Amino acid sequence: MKRRMSLLLAGALAVSVLGGCGSQDSSETGEKVRLMVWSPSEDQSKNSGEWLQTCCENFAKQHPEWDITFVYGVADEATAADAIAQDPEAGADVFMFANDTLTRMTDADALAKIGGKYREQVESTNSHEVLNSLIKDDNLYGVPFTTNTWYMFYDKSVFSEEDVQNLDTMLEKGKVSFPFTNSWYLPAFYLGNGCTLFGDGTDESAGVDFGGENAVEVTNYLIDLINNPNFTVDADGSGIAGIRDGSISAMFTGSWDAAAIREALGENMGVRSLPAYTLNGEEKQMLAYAGSKAIGVNPQSDYPVQAVELAIYLGSAEAQQLHYDLRSVVPCNTELLSSGEIASDELVKAQNDTFNNTSILQPFVAQMNNCWTPVENMGKGIRNGSITHDNAGEQTEAMNDAMNSNGI
Amino acid sequence: MAGKKYKSASRKRLINNTIVHIVLAILAIIWVFPILWVIMTSFRAEQGSYVSTFFPKAYTLDNYIRLFTDTTVLNFPKMFMNTLIIAICSCILSTFYTLAVSYCLSRLKFKLRKPYMNMAMILGLFPGFMSMIAVYFILKAVGLTEGALIRVALILVYSGGAGLGFQIAKGFFDTVPRAIDEAALLDGCTRWQIFTKITLPLSKPIIVYTVLTAFIGPWVDFIFAKVICRANSDQYTIAIGLWRMLEKEYIDSWYTCFAAGAVLISIPIAILFLCLQRYYVDGMSGAVKG
Repeated sequence: MKRRMSLLLAGALAVSVLGGCGSQDSSETGEKVRLMVWSPSEDQSKNSGEWLQTCCENFAKQHPEWDITFVYGVADEATAADAIAQDPEAGADVFMFANDTLTRMTDADALAKIGGKYREQVESTNSHEVLNSLIKDDNLYGVPFTTNTWYMFYDKSVFSEEDVQNLDTMLEKGKVSFPFTNSWYLPAFYLGNGCTLFGDGTDESAGVDFGGENAVEVTNYLIDLINNPNFTVDADGSGIAGIRDGSISAMFTGSWDAAAIREALGENMGVRSLPAYTLNGEEKQMLAYAGSKAIGVNPQSDYPVQAVELAIYLGSAEAQQLHYDLRSVVPCNTELLSSGEIASDELVKAQNDTFNNTSILQPFVAQMNNCWTPVENMGKGIRNGSITHDNAGEQTEAMNDAMNSNGI
Repeated sequence: MAGKKYKSASRKRLINNTIVHIVLAILAIIWVFPILWVIMTSFRAEQGSYVSTFFPKAYTLDNYIRLFTDTTVLNFPKMFMNTLIIAICSCILSTFYTLAVSYCLSRLKFKLRKPYMNMAMILGLFPGFMSMIAVYFILKAVGLTEGALIRVALILVYSGGAGLGFQIAKGFFDTVPRAIDEAALLDGCTRWQIFTKITLPLSKPIIVYTVLTAFIGPWVDFIFAKVICRANSDQYTIAIGLWRMLEKEYIDSWYTCFAAGAVLISIPIAILFLCLQRYYVDGMSGAVKG
């Protein structure tokens, strides 16, 4: 019996080895082109409309002069950089990446510059802020297709339009949850009170300024915040669970949680850019980290022209519209954003308001890698009570030192 | 007088036993607790990764059903089969490697015997993933990093180093009396026949042990699978799939399915162990009789 089982399995293996990989041929004649394209799996799944396949086929139709074979792979924007940088030669020709992984790829010589008429085309359809997120040393490194940031979701039956302008007003009316121990979110308070990262975000030598009197004020504010009975820390998914059972009325997250929140709150779901908070009687605007997601081209591609053309097409208004229709991916094309249906979408509005007004561009200088853990430790220290009003000053200074150190 | 003494001794024993059992019970609860929690989470009807109650408010089988039906984003059945094939093949291969190497080192005399054992000992001190990038580039040079050949690559990676893990099996073979080998040799057995007909039947416990470890290794490995599979989602193993379920985009809707998947992957290991446990006990008594 066992022997038969193992024979069977060996047979199954042989069959699967012979099966080969799944690729699709287009039947037109012309120059033979093989393009490997990586995207997150949702972009390729039947349930969400096969965005990538549809776009690639449209692209092939527009270019009958090329006989393109597409090979699809799965790599989401956050981790594609690792796979590409590991071995650019075997990486995809066209892939999607989050802009904070940009330096990782340029260091490995794994990201092509977009220049000439292509660059003009991208520049003409995107806002300055979005473009800046992909420019390093004056070179453009990708075709942006969406922005990436976080903002506020709230229950309209609890908070009025007036209330949501200010976090402290909200805390008087209902329960608010914030990812206090997550260093992608917590700096919003510090940035709001004049703390800076690397000058304007690109000057590595300027260092981090999360110290000084203004930072200590924020630390003290945060200590009071955590002691507020209406404030809860959102960790390990407690925020979305609270929204579901009604124990929490506002939380901070991004478009990836929007569907779940809409399901829980229905018509009452409100979404807007970040509120201000009141520090010693003065209103300070919270500022989120913002970035973009873009389509990148592998400089080691065998078919550079076709790869760049495909990247431009995948970032075009047409593809972004389809992306929005199929998967609610918020577009960043300026023409699309001003058009009817998309312009009236609350979520799109909130994300773009946040991107344009209540955020800073998340720095992607290498030194930024040392800025996450100290802030996280600050959040955890305040939560578990080891950082108090008495030692707020020295602890803030310690955080600042750690962020400016080389990380070890 | 004497009776009283016995009484107090038995009472003492009773008290001792009670304390020991209470401590053991507490430890058992602590150990079983996380497993119980995962099993309960896998049957939880509420979505999301965070719950305010220990016991689920409602129970459902949907998490398991979804794991096998909702395959467009994360194809769990496919990953399960990939992993099963890889694990079984590398289990067979590495068991053979390990036992063969152990037998040679235990029974054969050759010049490199001692140097080989020292080298294996030192190499074994380094964690395997130190070499993973090098391994990737070697596999790429051979052309095993695309498509279905990735499975072959993973099988090779998991079984290739098995020969270094001979120590325990060699120690066991050393306890099997040499006289039996010599008797067989006199009767006209070849070395291979001694190995398959005499030594192996006497070594069931160590075979079982080797099979179990050789199966569990590839079954739960994450690092090599991640480095070698890269973007080939149709070749993903369970470990990568489960890891993906906990990513920011998926965690809310896939968390309970993740628990269901965790329960499911423990089943093959449990079956393997239950099947082999019988031989484990038999083998123990067999070795003594030997």
